[in-house]
Amino acid sequence: MTPAPERTPDHLTLALPKGRILEDALSLLAQAGLPLTLPEKSRALRHEFPGVTVLELRNQDVPVYVDLGVADAGIVGKDVLIESGRAVYEPVDLRFAACRLSLIREVGATGPIHRVGTKYPRAARTYLNAQGIPAEIVKLSGNIELAALTGLADAVVDLVQTGSTLRANNLEEVDVLFESTARLVVNRAALKLRRERLRPVIERLRELVAVGQEP
Amino acid sequence: MLPPEWAQREHLRARLAACFSAWGYQGVELPALEYADPYHPQDARAFKLIDSGGQVLALRSEFTTAMGRLVQTRFPAGPFPLRLQYGGRLWLRALTSELGRLREFYQAGVELIGVETPQADAELLALAQAALNEVGVRAQLEIGYPGFVDAVLEDAGLHGTARDALHDAIDRKSGADVDALARREGVSAAVTRTLHALTDLYGGADVLDAAEVLAQASGAGARATAAIAHLRTVAAQFMALSPSSAPLLFDLGVSRRYGYYTGLTFRAYADGLNQPVLGGGRYALEGGLPGAGFAMGLERLAGVVAAGLPPEPEVVLALDRTGADHARAGGLTAELAWTDDLAALQAYCRRRGITRLVRGQTWLEVDA
Repeated sequence: MTPAPERTPDHLTLALPKGRILEDALSLLAQAGLPLTLPEKSRALRHEFPGVTVLELRNQDVPVYVDLGVADAGIVGKDVLIESGRAVYEPVDLRFAACRLSLIREVGATGPIHRVGTKYPRAARTYLNAQGIPAEIVKLSGNIELAALTGLADAVVDLVQTGSTLRANNLEEVDVLFESTARLVVNRAALKLRRERLRPVIERLRELVAVGQEP
Repeated sequence: MLPPEWAQREHLRARLAACFSAWGYQGVELPALEYADPYHPQDARAFKLIDSGGQVLALRSEFTTAMGRLVQTRFPAGPFPLRLQYGGRLWLRALTSELGRLREFYQAGVELIGVETPQADAELLALAQAALNEVGVRAQLEIGYPGFVDAVLEDAGLHGTARDALHDAIDRKSGADVDALARREGVSAAVTRTLHALTDLYGGADVLDAAEVLAQASGAGARATAAIAHLRTVAAQFMALSPSSAPLLFDLGVSRRYGYYTGLTFRAYADGLNQPVLGGGRYALEGGLPGAGFAMGLERLAGVVAAGLPPEPEVVLALDRTGADHARAGGLTAELAWTDDLAALQAYCRRRGITRLVRGQTWLEVDA
């Protein structure tokens, strides 16, 4: 890992999720005026740019780094942000990585829901409580749909992008908990302490997103 | 906690307590064990214990509620304003201890009770600034006013759960959530624009001008305009009390715990630390008596205090009582010899980093 160099008071540290979102996020932030480029393939986890450090993280960890102030700002999906329960600012909806968190059952299932399998226990609990469904939550890590097909759970709460996985597995969306897109998240103190740098980035990102949204 | 950290903690505690005392804030001590109370604002986050009679107790999770009870039982008739300070440990039942957010931590703070004037608000801000200066922390104070957001929402005719949800979205500066809620509640485009503007009302003194423009443009009622006027008065009085401090910051989109705070709220951000080192605000005690105060977290402060605090006097080893008196009279720390074996004492001094011995008025170097 590159050693952390001396930093100026307005140095920015950004928390970005590794993988495909990282490329989209870097190019968007570069268009918004930050001096970022796509780092060469390497095993480095921390990338240094002039006045900006990028931390490459698993997306569940982005809200943690930003909330605790290790990173000043970051980019993360609204689904992960809600699940984290972290109190960070989310001033820009970046409108990429769109998906929705849904309640899913086997086609035609009508029985009572006693158990719900999910990767999102907090969001699922909030939803079930609001709906008055006294179901148990089973925390799972992947291929959540199988829980509904095998009887491990009566329903699952999971992300849906196009719905093709559901159709291929004889499943259907019963309800939508919320729609999710990537968000710019900012630490509460950093937005104030480094507002000279962050505010222009926020303004520029809003403009870029608004342009991308026009037909 | 080990000696260097302990010394720094005690030093901070003493400096803050002395600073609060010099402004007329008298100290009180409150019990760490309280009866659990479901109406306590931090009840869900407090550690619970059960005593031998089956009574549920809670470990102290914040000071203000207990201070309010103390005032009601011991000082029901004042004299007001009542100025009190406190310090002690608090416990929160967080899942785990995190960076800068511990399950067990130490807070020192003050309460100014019984008055509700701009002068009282300005005094607390100035005292917060003085306390930060006292321990050598460079920080910026930021003022919020949750009632301003509430007034704008009220003027827009929003009530009940929709109002609660919008408060939360605005406090998170989440334009996307404001849009989603506005669509769901059928809020007009003009009002939605106003709510968006609230999320951008942060920065320097120009925020108050922007808030005024916003309030006029959206036809805001008396509550919103009164809030801005109040903040202007407080800011002017603060600058008069504390002319050399950094300009105040404002964030009129702050609305966390808007049902609890009855006036301004404030916090301090120290350079280089992405977590506030101080927080406070104006509230009402049970029964309606006005109160306001702030608390400082010692663990976070310790991370940003000026280097060289506390000043550490040289430690020497005294071979007799007059040597110890001589060294202590000179402001040094003197340890006493526990044996006549000079070789053992010399070896101890080398390990301990002590460079001088003293006998009577005579100084001896420790052999290298």
